[in-house]
Amino acid sequence: MHVLIINGSPRIKKFSNTDKILDEFTKGMCEGGNTCDRYEISDKASWDAIRKAYDESDNILIAIPLYVECIPGLLMEFLETLTPKTGNAKMSFILQSGFAEGVQLRCGEAYLERLAKNLGCEYGGTLVKGGNFEIRFLNDENRAKATSPYADMGREFAACGNFNSDKCKAFTGPEIFPAPVRVLVGFFFKTAVRKNFIRDGESLGCTRPLDYKPYS
Amino acid sequence: MILIVNTTSDTSVTEELRKQAEAGNVDVDIVEAGSLKISHCIGCNYCWLKTPGECAIKDDYEMILKKLIHADQYWVISDTALGFIDHKGKNVFDRILPILTMNLKFVKGQMRHISRYGKNADVGLIIRGDAADKEYLERWVERAALNLESKSLGVFDESKIKEAVSCMC
Repeated sequence: MHVLIINGSPRIKKFSNTDKILDEFTKGMCEGGNTCDRYEISDKASWDAIRKAYDESDNILIAIPLYVECIPGLLMEFLETLTPKTGNAKMSFILQSGFAEGVQLRCGEAYLERLAKNLGCEYGGTLVKGGNFEIRFLNDENRAKATSPYADMGREFAACGNFNSDKCKAFTGPEIFPAPVRVLVGFFFKTAVRKNFIRDGESLGCTRPLDYKPYS
Repeated sequence: MILIVNTTSDTSVTEELRKQAEAGNVDVDIVEAGSLKISHCIGCNYCWLKTPGECAIKDDYEMILKKLIHADQYWVISDTALGFIDHKGKNVFDRILPILTMNLKFVKGQMRHISRYGKNADVGLIIRGDAADKEYLERWVERAALNLESKSLGVFDESKIKEAVSCMC
């Protein structure tokens, strides 16, 4: 199996959480001799090459960070330039987000099924998982912990050719957190998580409180 | 104030909107964004973590952002593509993130970002062209508004301006 993989994130590759996810996913997917070509939407200079690869491929996987409940504007700009397929191409998706619960990604997922059809492709399903915001800020060890489960999903995709298996569906985790978990996580939001965000900001050179109001 | 951002190059829709809003004594601020320079969001997270509330991209969206924080309603006029709004329409939604903070809370059982300026504008959409899946767009606007803890004002075809204006109050 050969797969064209497009990272739909507008963030540059170096800082792209989706890219780190794809690193692990493709490790698993390519174990049995499968191959892939990978492209980044954030690199506009490569758009002609991506279009050519799309035209020539019948197995396309687009990995997407959720942007305002759907696909990022930059990915939309690229997709608008494509010619819908007329053969037997298949299009599958990896959809990931910062918010952790499955319910947060369902509206985006619903669009992807429509998108595949609008581009003349059979829909190969979407691997849905949230809770990925911190990947870019993690050290190597913790990043490996966060992204390595995707390797198993790569194996599953290689075996099934799509994301429709129960194993892929279960990968999403809880649709919504149970009330006691929300109480606990809500407490962390006000303490440890808030501290983490301040630390993340400081690592980028932030000198203001995170709730600063520049325009009021 | 009702903020209306026209991301299309067709100003006949906004002319009609302006006429109807004036007739109904509605306070509208119309931005013709079709001729403005507005980039896509590059996902750098700077508006949440490095320069809180400020977008790293210095282009014409900053002016919209400054209006948006005082708006009661945010209407976007957009062309359609691939069953959705086109990239210009989507960009003015993706760039909205500075009005939220990085900090999180649970609202009705789901994670939300805490608003930076208090109550956020309700959201409405006016679409041009026939490439959209209206049922999906209605779901999408509901969901986008949920994230702002505001409400959806609905999705209207450009031929239904009167109905859209009736929601502007």
